[in-house]
Amino acid sequence: MLRTSILFIFLSAIMCCKRQEAQDISQRDIDTTVKFGQVNALVTIDQSPMDISYYPSDYPILKMNETGKEAPIARVIYSRPHKKGRKVFGTSSNCICVYGKEWRLGANEATEIEFFRDLSIAGKPIKAGRYVIYCIPFADRWSIILNTNLYTWGLHMDSTKDVFKIDLPVAEQKPALEDFTMVFNGKGDSVNLQIAWDQLTVSLPMVFQQQ
Amino acid sequence: MIRKILFFFCCLFHFGLQAQDKTIILDKSTLDISYFPANFPLLKVQEKTTAPLQARLIYSRPAMNGRVVFGDLIAYDKIWRLGANEATEIEFYQDVSIANSRLKKGRYTLYAIPQASKWTILINKETDTWGSFRYNINKEVFKTDLPVEKITEVVEYFTMYFEATEKGMQLLMLWENAKVVLPIETSIKSK
Repeated sequence: MLRTSILFIFLSAIMCCKRQEAQDISQRDIDTTVKFGQVNALVTIDQSPMDISYYPSDYPILKMNETGKEAPIARVIYSRPHKKGRKVFGTSSNCICVYGKEWRLGANEATEIEFFRDLSIAGKPIKAGRYVIYCIPFADRWSIILNTNLYTWGLHMDSTKDVFKIDLPVAEQKPALEDFTMVFNGKGDSVNLQIAWDQLTVSLPMVFQQQ
Repeated sequence: MIRKILFFFCCLFHFGLQAQDKTIILDKSTLDISYFPANFPLLKVQEKTTAPLQARLIYSRPAMNGRVVFGDLIAYDKIWRLGANEATEIEFYQDVSIANSRLKKGRYTLYAIPQASKWTILINKETDTWGSFRYNINKEVFKTDLPVEKITEVVEYFTMYFEATEKGMQLLMLWENAKVVLPIETSIKSK
């Protein structure tokens, strides 16, 4: 009985890995083979699909697995463009994100960040609520800006509604990322929003108030 | 018994891998937002609307991918998250009225119990949750039955969007050959 059980767990583990591998490949296949804009007569699937990141990470899954889970702390809703062989960051106007020019940190709609608690960033207090988050990239630093002009398309940032701005150093992203990615990392109330694409990454440090 | 327990751990292991990959690999069922008024952010930057945003829906869009959807992939008589991954979120920016029930402005989750000829639509106050695996009936705030209309053109990707009506808006839900319409009344004139 024990021997069959061990064999079973071993085989299952192999199968899990194989299935995961097959799924990864099929997902990549879908990314390149789906003819965007031709598969749905009503509302097309976007080339830069939208995604949500929560803090605590994967909060909805945690909540599903645990009753009485306390409220989430933050979430960001953004679209994820792909590099697709292009130059992402640089001074040339051919780059997707040109140094010195505002960038919506995503695609399509302006990126939205929601804080479910009051917080502080670099000692500055910020009220709980919903903000647009955007960026002005430079070679050595990115300015990260919070703005109150919500529900807008990300090309025209109304800088009169900026409420917070911080310059953050740029670090190298390894491995380089094909898809633009935003993800919260942290422990308890000290949280970093990691923003990464291609070979660059920036971390926005936040300290949330205890509830 | 041991086998069952081991199998359960293998499932957990598998699920863990999937969850971990989510931040790196793009999801098969992509997330999307529908607004009312439709395409609100674009209209706003093009200064084509002065009307306020009234509703926003955040949902994931699974594809048929050659599968039979209703009655098979999506079982009849069971709660479905109206999408994939996270529970579908609907937000109203002012109080609304649906089938004579008043709903306060705010964020809700939206579910359906599909049947061949009707869907039961459920609105719940439990937000930021995954799927319908732990549906919290205590936080249910609204329930109504809606007829299913059969459509001739098959819809590959699950699709939801808002349309303007005389009394406010309606939420259209379409997948495979099923179409369901949820009328929502507001006090704001959009026409």
